[in-house]
Amino acid sequence: MQIPVVRNVLEANEKLAEQVRARLDPGRILALNLISSPGAGKTTLLERTLADLSGEFRMAVIEGDLQTDNDARRVAATGAQAVQINTEGGCHLNSSMILQALDNLDLDGLDILFIENVGNLVCPVEFDCGEDAKIALLSVAEGDDKPEKYPLLFNLARAMLLNKIDLLPHVDFDVRRARDFATRLNHDLAVFEVSCRNGQGLDGWYEWLRAMRQARRQGRLSRQER
Amino acid sequence: MPPMHEMAIAQSILDIVRDEMTARHCTRLDGIGLECGALSGVEPESLRFCLSALLDGGPWADARLELRIVPLRLRCFGCGTVFGGESGQDALWQPCPQCGEQFGHTVEQGKELRISHLDAS
Repeated sequence: MQIPVVRNVLEANEKLAEQVRARLDPGRILALNLISSPGAGKTTLLERTLADLSGEFRMAVIEGDLQTDNDARRVAATGAQAVQINTEGGCHLNSSMILQALDNLDLDGLDILFIENVGNLVCPVEFDCGEDAKIALLSVAEGDDKPEKYPLLFNLARAMLLNKIDLLPHVDFDVRRARDFATRLNHDLAVFEVSCRNGQGLDGWYEWLRAMRQARRQGRLSRQER
Repeated sequence: MPPMHEMAIAQSILDIVRDEMTARHCTRLDGIGLECGALSGVEPESLRFCLSALLDGGPWADARLELRIVPLRLRCFGCGTVFGGESGQDALWQPCPQCGEQFGHTVEQGKELRISHLDAS
């Protein structure tokens, strides 16, 4: 007998994502979900950001990795709160993991929560973590056709950072190609060319963070699309 | 969990199936109807493999996965024409048949990932 059901397969995760939002809403905490390939520089970006903006914002990080707490230790060395999630082989974070991590964070007075997803350009895009924005990070040591190959992330992200631009003289990465493609996929995408190694270009990213934080605080931030 | 999100998705499918089977007092499961958008990010063969691995050895080991791919439908950024649906045209960026605009389209259909029906008694 055929029984009509019609249920969204990811409904359980989406309900939990609403619980994450309910936890972050009272303090109007800005939650950003950082997504990139492994090695694009997510942790280095966070180290820089946490150090440079520590006088301005209270920030915390949820670190997702398959194994080890290396990244959480790097982040904690800046003085920010950090919680490590080990997915033990899982290719993405989900909202159930975020809820558990929130239990181990002091949310009082927190301005920005960074979620550093598992290095992967596909799976993390599918799983809502209750964030206000997805951030795509791409390094010039990768292919400049990444936005063409993984359009969903670049379509949904609110910002894209092109990292490691200090390496441009040594690689064939065509900044214009990556940039043009991504912004044509997503007309609202903010793009920053940065080097987390030498700090180049980070001021623009920090300005964007300030504006996002302000919009979140004033309740002006539209919902992250799925 | 293997490093593929299809396993997490297969587990979510199974959770919903269990829930529905209990609610409807069914015990025998012959098929699971799944609608999978062309842009849903799911690799159908990988999902099939993960689901059969989870069902294997249990009471529903013989249940079929009836997977229907929901084609992509886009609304043109330039002129608003809704187009797409041809198989093999799964890109978010493709020229609008009306005005030629390639980018910035809105997805009208193709991100779904949902259970449509169960074949159960």
